Amino acid sequence: MKKTQTKAFSNLVASLILLAFEAWAYFQTLGFKIVKKAAVQPATFPQIMCIGMMIFTVILLIQSILKLKKADPDDPMMEASASINIIKNKGVQAAAFVIVLCIAYAALFEVLGYVLVSTLIAAVIMWLIGKRDVKQIVLVSILVPLLMWFVFYKLLTVNIPMGVLTPLKNLVDMI
Amino acid sequence: MNWGLLFESYGAVFFDVQVLLMTLLGAAGGVLLGAIPGMTATMGVALLIPFSFGMDLIPSIGLLLGIYCGGMYGGSISAILIHAPGTPAAAATLLDGYPMCQKGQAGRALSIAMFSSFCGGIIGALVMTFLSPLIADVAMEFTSAEMLMLAVFGLSVIVAISGQSIAKGLISAFFGMLLCTIGMDPTYSAKRYTFGVKPLYSGLAFIPVLIGLFAVAEIIAGVERTINGEEKQESSNEKINEVLPDLKTILQIWPQIISGGLIGTFIGAIPGAGGDIAVFVSYGFNKSFSKYPEKWGTGIPQGVASTESANNGCSGGAMIPLLSLGVPGDAVTAIILGAFIMKGIQPGPTMYRDQLDTVYCVFAALMLANLAMLIVGCAGVRFFAKIVSIEKKILYPIILVISLLGAFSINKNVFDVGVCVVFGIIGWLMNKFEFPLSPVLLALILGPMCEQNFVRFMDLNGGNFGAIVGHPIAIGFLVVAVGTVLFSIYNQGKINKREAAAKKAAKANEQ
Repeated sequence: MKKTQTKAFSNLVASLILLAFEAWAYFQTLGFKIVKKAAVQPATFPQIMCIGMMIFTVILLIQSILKLKKADPDDPMMEASASINIIKNKGVQAAAFVIVLCIAYAALFEVLGYVLVSTLIAAVIMWLIGKRDVKQIVLVSILVPLLMWFVFYKLLTVNIPMGVLTPLKNLVDMI
Repeated sequence: MNWGLLFESYGAVFFDVQVLLMTLLGAAGGVLLGAIPGMTATMGVALLIPFSFGMDLIPSIGLLLGIYCGGMYGGSISAILIHAPGTPAAAATLLDGYPMCQKGQAGRALSIAMFSSFCGGIIGALVMTFLSPLIADVAMEFTSAEMLMLAVFGLSVIVAISGQSIAKGLISAFFGMLLCTIGMDPTYSAKRYTFGVKPLYSGLAFIPVLIGLFAVAEIIAGVERTINGEEKQESSNEKINEVLPDLKTILQIWPQIISGGLIGTFIGAIPGAGGDIAVFVSYGFNKSFSKYPEKWGTGIPQGVASTESANNGCSGGAMIPLLSLGVPGDAVTAIILGAFIMKGIQPGPTMYRDQLDTVYCVFAALMLANLAMLIVGCAGVRFFAKIVSIEKKILYPIILVISLLGAFSINKNVFDVGVCVVFGIIGWLMNKFEFPLSPVLLALILGPMCEQNFVRFMDLNGGNFGAIVGHPIAIGFLVVAVGTVLFSIYNQGKINKREAAAKKAAKANEQ
């Protein structure tokens, strides 16, 4: 196994990303309002959290470097890292696609309405993960969002955007 | 103890149709989700908490406690039938439950699991009823110094048990605390990490973050596993003939039920420690005191009883620090704490002074939740046994659309759907890089408590943190917190070494 495929390497990458994030988060605190005569500034607590994170991230980084140094590529005991290779790993590609779908879902939630956007995302995900029974896909992806909308709207009195299906809501209100 | 008010509260809870209905629904939902391998009680509560919006406090707490207790029992169904624990707290149940199933005693094992879960839950609820007021009495004297260190102690324990890497657990905890600082500073109203985004001024809403981390992240990971062919489709065709154990079996297992219930309760009461630890402690304890330890693991009723009473005992135990100190005992009680806060109630010692009726109603609701679990379990055990075979390809999209709707309904705000998706991605990445999620959740709850008490303490002492020396209880909490982390580092080192040796031996055997 290559060193770059080990858990130690993925920890090293994660520590570097985290350190960059923590430095950014700490830098942001420098712009927080300063209150005169306050024993604890609004920036103090987030700064302590950033420093705490940094200390343990550095520990993780050092642990990873030491493990990588000791690592023998022929050692069968080396722990493999989980793949995040979007080019080679089909599962990661599918996960990334679901993430894109979720982002699109959030963006279209108000425009298309909960029922329509949920029907679409449910049907696409079912198809994506290998469900090929069209009848089941159609039934589940339409009935579940409709039922959920009904429960939340009528029983829990939560007003959920219906977007282009607003006439359906009006119809239910009339009944 | 105000007995009159206690009985009055029991009456109010047990004879309120809405509370009864919600608790039964919660128990059914909990057993249903718990029975599906991979769906934890935490995820169940996260998924179903939006259904409690708009309800009064007690029906919504009844619903959540029903899910909690039901989920704890539900995990045993798949552990017994298909050798896959539905929840981590059912991991030890399969040791004897599955061999019983292989011997053709699936129904007997399930009935023992249900009865033991019920008894364990009742033991936990009773201990909670009598112990938590005593702790609250002591906690009434706590100042900001003690409360600050109590929060630190709570975090230290959850971090200590959060997996192979203590460093990762601590990073997760600090990350969760940092998330709490988003929005307006509670003391001076200074904007922090808001970037001009108005919905962020009030901070991150707890429920969308929770749903994102525990439900959406799991869906993304589930899709990935399915595509990579790593998701097994489980199925079971076992016939279930028994609903409750017979008297002879009950007489055989009662010592394990009582000791398991007590062990579960006391382990559950330690902030951070939960059912997954309690079941193994109870199993080990009962096995070592058994007259025939060699039979344990071959499919004996005592094995199932000791673990199932322990994991349901935890539900009462975990409520003790929640109600008496305002510190959640585990991830589920952290969510229940969030539900309390949502309804404008802050659990803690002052609750025993100012809202004793609410406290007693919660006691009664937990008792009712255990009863509801028994009723639902008896009525639907044959149906729940079929649930383990549900197709994940249908389940994942259903959970996703319910989750995202739940995230929206907390504030009726699309921004929260976005927050939920973002935390779904963060949760998925954290899982990939093996950063534990529970410390983030606990930190989200304990963070504001920590900061407010820190600011108050520093203000009162002119910015001198050294003044904490004058608070022996606070120092005690701090010492225990540091000791817990140090002990965990030592203990984890030993576990890692043992696991490495076991892997090496397994590899050598293969060759």
